[in-house]
Amino acid sequence: MSAPPVARPAAESAKEAPSPAMRSGPAPRPGGDPLIRLFHVSKSYAAGQFSLRDVSVEIKKGELVFLTGPSGAGKTTLMKLLFAAERPSEGQILVLGRNVARVGERGIPQLRRRVGVVFQDFKLIASRTVEENVAVTLEVIGVPPREARAKVFAMLRRVGLQHRRHHRPAALSGGEQQRVALARALVNEPAILLADEPTGNLDAALTVEIMDLIAAAASRGTTVLVASHDAALVRRYARRVLKLDGGRLVEDLPGGAPA
Amino acid sequence: MTRVLYQLYYFVRAAFAGLRGSPLTTGVSIATIAVATIPLGGLWVVTGNMRALLDRFGEELQLTAFLDSKVRSDQGRSLAAQASAIPGIDRVEFVSQEQALERFRTRLGGSALLDAIETNPLPASLSIALAEEARAPERVAAVSEALHQLPGVEDVAGGETWIEGYGRALRLVRSAGMGLGLVLSFATLLIVANTIRLAVYARRDELEILSLVGASRTHLRVPFLIEGVVQGAIGGAIGVALLFGIFHVAVPQLRDALELFLGWSDPSFLSPRNVGILVVGGAAFGLAGAAIAALRTRVA
Ligand SMILES: Nc1ncnc2c1ncn2[C@@H]1O[C@H](COP(=O)(O)OP(=O)(O)OP(=O)(O)O)[C@@H](O)[C@H]1O
Ligand SMILES: [Mg+2]
Repeated sequence: MSAPPVARPAAESAKEAPSPAMRSGPAPRPGGDPLIRLFHVSKSYAAGQFSLRDVSVEIKKGELVFLTGPSGAGKTTLMKLLFAAERPSEGQILVLGRNVARVGERGIPQLRRRVGVVFQDFKLIASRTVEENVAVTLEVIGVPPREARAKVFAMLRRVGLQHRRHHRPAALSGGEQQRVALARALVNEPAILLADEPTGNLDAALTVEIMDLIAAAASRGTTVLVASHDAALVRRYARRVLKLDGGRLVEDLPGGAPA
Repeated sequence: MTRVLYQLYYFVRAAFAGLRGSPLTTGVSIATIAVATIPLGGLWVVTGNMRALLDRFGEELQLTAFLDSKVRSDQGRSLAAQASAIPGIDRVEFVSQEQALERFRTRLGGSALLDAIETNPLPASLSIALAEEARAPERVAAVSEALHQLPGVEDVAGGETWIEGYGRALRLVRSAGMGLGLVLSFATLLIVANTIRLAVYARRDELEILSLVGASRTHLRVPFLIEGVVQGAIGGAIGVALLFGIFHVAVPQLRDALELFLGWSDPSFLSPRNVGILVVGGAAFGLAGAAIAALRTRVA
């Protein structure tokens, strides 16, 4: 956060995009080119009503950023813009060097394969098992089945769900489903992780476990954005906090010491 | 390259999961194609047997060109040579007046009646075997016309008129079959496409989620196309199997009627090749239906 934002061409930053989690050795410090940039972004679903209004922000590689604000502030909307589930009404958005506001039919899958998302409502496929749900991230890019199975199993173990891998989502508790969603988002080691209330259904102990997993991804170089209401959680991790209110970015607090 | 193969593996797996996951729509698609296959295949059995019958008669089909009494034997032989140059004619044999009488005699078994005749009343003729491709009724008429043009030919006989009628009937059945085929194809396509659309709708949550984790449009659509092909092939195979059953039950019961009205003594079912064509055709319909469904349904 001390480094001034450098206005280098976006395409270049894409080339330097991380191969997170594959790295060993000391964790890279957040810094360098921003992986996510918003320029005066507004989003309006219905005429005259803005869910996001003139938001400009930059997030650098490896940063772990909390997104807070009251219900309806626009947290989910901001995340949706980042993986092109919605288009901005105004402004430009660069993610991994791509102009998301203008990315085409073919570009969207390419983008989404590098952005892991934990959805607020999980979005698990009801007809598939836990294991199969996590594997879809790998299937869409054609990872060999054997390799995919191994990765999925390792990932499920990290979220403590390896024993539930043959169950369907309906047979899981809310917290378990949330962890499946996180496993699916992280299994392909994404460059960016967007987690929308990833601990909303977890008890205190599990919250710490899951947040540690997310923080670990950040320390391996994944750029992480976590939407959360939980002030205690935000304080505990003492990272950069973006606060939205009524669609406006009202605070951008640099974090304290890294956890 | 290998990634593409693995993706294909995932496509096929997803397709079979989809088939199993929505047994009702799968069943409707298969049944629709099976039901459409039966009348189409049935008509094909009918036209195939009519064609075979015509061919059998065609093999025995001979034309006789009767010659003017002024034509001498050597002229007759040169006429035979000319006739054999007419397209559609395979072999020509010159039968002189004497030979004609001789044949008549042996056929009648040396009757005393003929010995009483002083002058030979039988004309010389050309006995003509038609080439294979000329055995169709419409071609026979053309050949006969060409023979009439030869000098010294008085009359042409053969090419029984019933064959012409039978040929017309075959053409009629064929065009009726094509018309029915067109209507049935259209209806089948419509039903299959809409059924597969239902399957797409039923899975739209799944498709949306796949799209959100980075599935391309191809990835979302190809499994449906594979499902269409599988449903179509199964439907076609079931249709042919049912038709085979119907054929074996119906033919013995209708044996006399078939013999009497169609002249079939021993009708045959579709050849293995044509069975294959029907199954592949079913698969093509399944694919087309799925393609229409996939294109008309906006997927995530
Ligand atoms: N698809 C939509 N169509 C219309 N309005 C929408 C849509 N999605 C969100 N909104 C509106 O945009 C505003 C911001 O919604 P958003 O979901 O981004 O809030 P949020 O900060 O994620 O809230 P929460 O903490 O409750 O999840 C809300 O007023 C919401 O009603
Ligand atoms: Mg939200």
